[in-house]
Amino acid sequence: MSVMQRESSAGYLTRAPRSSGLADVLEILLDRGLVIDAFVRVSLVGIELLTIDLRVVVASVDTYLRFAEAVNRLDLQQTSDAKGLPDMFGDAEEEGAERKTKGAVEGGMDAIKEKIGLGGRKKDDEDDDDDR
Amino acid sequence: MSALYLYGVTRPRELPPRLAERGLFLVEHDRRAAIVSDLEEAPVRASRRNLLAHADAVEELHEGGVVLPARFGVVLDDQEAAREFLALPDVEHLLERHRDTSELTLKGTYEESILAEVSRPLAPLQAAYRRAPSLEAGIALGEAVAQALADRRARDCETVLTRLAPLAQDVVVSEPFGEYAALDLALLVRRDAVEALNTALDEVVAELSPPLHLRLVGPLPPYSFVSLELQAAA
Repeated sequence: MSVMQRESSAGYLTRAPRSSGLADVLEILLDRGLVIDAFVRVSLVGIELLTIDLRVVVASVDTYLRFAEAVNRLDLQQTSDAKGLPDMFGDAEEEGAERKTKGAVEGGMDAIKEKIGLGGRKKDDEDDDDDR
Repeated sequence: MSALYLYGVTRPRELPPRLAERGLFLVEHDRRAAIVSDLEEAPVRASRRNLLAHADAVEELHEGGVVLPARFGVVLDDQEAAREFLALPDVEHLLERHRDTSELTLKGTYEESILAEVSRPLAPLQAAYRRAPSLEAGIALGEAVAQALADRRARDCETVLTRLAPLAQDVVVSEPFGEYAALDLALLVRRDAVEALNTALDEVVAELSPPLHLRLVGPLPPYSFVSLELQAAA
């Protein structure tokens, strides 16, 4: 990896001059790029699990239920936001419980990202050796 | 074993010392050169480290001239095979075509709050779910939300494309992956049009902004625009 890589970010846009993580290179290097039949062979290991898992997290009952839960929770949040100042202190306990729920859901998403190897996992492959 | 790992194809030139030290070298034929390194052991492991090393090499070389990046894991038997492959007319055509191009990839992701936005018209389903949070009510609501999100995604993608596509020579639109993924584009632009595209993107962002986060990577070698699968000459 280049040491000169710099990321810049303005509001909702992030810019990177180069690929800088698995999320950037995974699809691009495995799905695209030059392939030349007959002269070369594509020869690799360690892909199967990745590509299969990539397809797993598509719309499913599981997704629907998560969406339903999230919509419900976001709606409750908005309602309580609209209450105004006087109630805010009295709501402390409720808000704490809500945060707990949110944490659990996000934890689930993280686990999924971890499983498919996306989402900026920082840890290097443990048994990584210099293959070339 | 004398196999060669192929990173990509370029014009003959001197490799940056950083890459040469890592064992990369060029096999040349005419005005074309294969970027390779000796491969001790096949198959190649698709580890994070190897994938990033491949990307690093082709992206570094792209800064100094045309590179046709190879797909990860392409192995040539020997230097002779490399030269035969370089002799294919299609290789020359692609090098010419990408003489002054770069790829920019643009990915978008929504914040979770997008769900509140797209589900506004779904109040009845939402009320039903809250009244009786059964599995059926949850699926009905969630499915409607997923559909509303898909519609929103299509609309935002259209907005972005309308603005950016005219500045590009070619565009690859991929199905974005992930529940909150919004869009996944690869844009092929002339190197001297990268700035213009960046400016246009800033304007698009001002229109779309929350809760859509965009990530632009590049200028990269044309990963998504060299994928014609070349056949061996009969």
